[in-house]
Amino acid sequence: MSYIWHLIANIGYFLLFVNLVLFSIRLGTHGKANKIFMVYLLVILVIQLVSAYLSSLRIYNLFLSHFYFVGQFILLSLFYKSLFKNHLQKKIINIGYVCCVVILGIQYGLEPNLFFSFNLFEIFITSFLLIVYGVFHFYNMLTDKKEFYYINMGILFYLFGSTILFLVGNFIVNMSGNWNKITWVTNSFLYVIYQLFIMFEWYKSFYKKPIQLKKNNN
Amino acid sequence: MNPVYEREIVTIILYTSVFFIILAVVLILFFYYSRKKILQKEFEKKDLEIQHQKEQLRAVIITQEEERKRIAQDLHDDISSKLNIVSLNSHLLKTPNLTAKETLEITGNIIELTAKALENTRRIAHDLLPPVFDKFGLHAGIEELCSEFNSSKAVRVDYQNNLEFDDADKEKDLHVFRILQELMNNSVRHGKASEITLSFGENEVGRYFRYTDNGVGFDIKDKKNQNGLGMKNIGSRVDFLNATLTVDSKIGKGISVLLNF
Repeated sequence: MSYIWHLIANIGYFLLFVNLVLFSIRLGTHGKANKIFMVYLLVILVIQLVSAYLSSLRIYNLFLSHFYFVGQFILLSLFYKSLFKNHLQKKIINIGYVCCVVILGIQYGLEPNLFFSFNLFEIFITSFLLIVYGVFHFYNMLTDKKEFYYINMGILFYLFGSTILFLVGNFIVNMSGNWNKITWVTNSFLYVIYQLFIMFEWYKSFYKKPIQLKKNNN
Repeated sequence: MNPVYEREIVTIILYTSVFFIILAVVLILFFYYSRKKILQKEFEKKDLEIQHQKEQLRAVIITQEEERKRIAQDLHDDISSKLNIVSLNSHLLKTPNLTAKETLEITGNIIELTAKALENTRRIAHDLLPPVFDKFGLHAGIEELCSEFNSSKAVRVDYQNNLEFDDADKEKDLHVFRILQELMNNSVRHGKASEITLSFGENEVGRYFRYTDNGVGFDIKDKKNQNGLGMKNIGSRVDFLNATLTVDSKIGKGISVLLNF
């Protein structure tokens, strides 16, 4: 089981790396949202690599999950904010930011021990808010043109599926043998699908567009 | 922990995860199909709009052609023919040894015919754009129109106006005037009306005019009536004015029209 887990997880990291490269070579053609998304991929990749490195040295790496969740939340919020045109939606993102940072700050101030295990509230609030923003974005696209359509699908899909797996993380860690691996295999599998969505988005909206531009110039 | 117990827990977790994944897929599919449906509806709406515009354009072109034909006919019948005879008569004056009586007769003819041609020119110009409307505005234009209809004795027009018309809105007023002309012509020609009432006023929506006649009326639901050239012309003018037009009629009950502009 451990072998399968590592295999799928490594495929996920590899796809993440490929996506990062793909998004960075077409940078600048699609403005701010694209740049933010690239930074997001970069940050997540760095966190994954560091955690893999610490894990290989047998150093406890669970505290990195906080950087993962909060980093993901901050960067994807910025990503959605740059896509939204509606004033109210932007305001909701700002409020979400402030609430999230303040509450988590207070929580860690009162209970520093949380730093060394999965923080359930953190997982819940960051995923929940991102799902809300994702739904906003879908709603905006109902009548507008498609922008980061497949990425949005991937984000919703992954967050819906993986949040529960992270929420039971503390519980699973204490389990014996193979059983605790199944949830992580599932998570890695979902992560691979998520990365495939991102790749498909790149193919749909970045790979083909420059060719059309060239045609227009001729 | 007990392995059986652990297995149970992991199964629950996996089911929960799958449940949420299915939820996400359902949500995504829902958005996908809603988007498709909304865009399709929008396309249909645009198509209808384009169709409507095409029909209006066609109506405008046909009207223009008919108007040209009418003007050509008027010019040919009423002016060219008269000027022809004037020209002939003028040539006759050149013939030698004309008696004083003959000269007088020929000049009399010429004067009479030129006067007629002049009057016809005036009438044609008047039909194209009434000078009274052009010089004194909508109110005077409508008064003149009403008195023309009244003088025909076939129909009695009752006209009331509580509005002031600004010279700056002349272009808009012309549309209103043309709509009225069309309505009155229809009332007399198709409706065989003997009484027409016409009133201008102002309500909470804005300016309006109300038009009624006691003619034969028509079936409002019949497509044939809505798609006539006259109604299409009125429709395009209403569009130009950004106005709303409400037409109400029943067979045998005359017609009532309300235009908010």
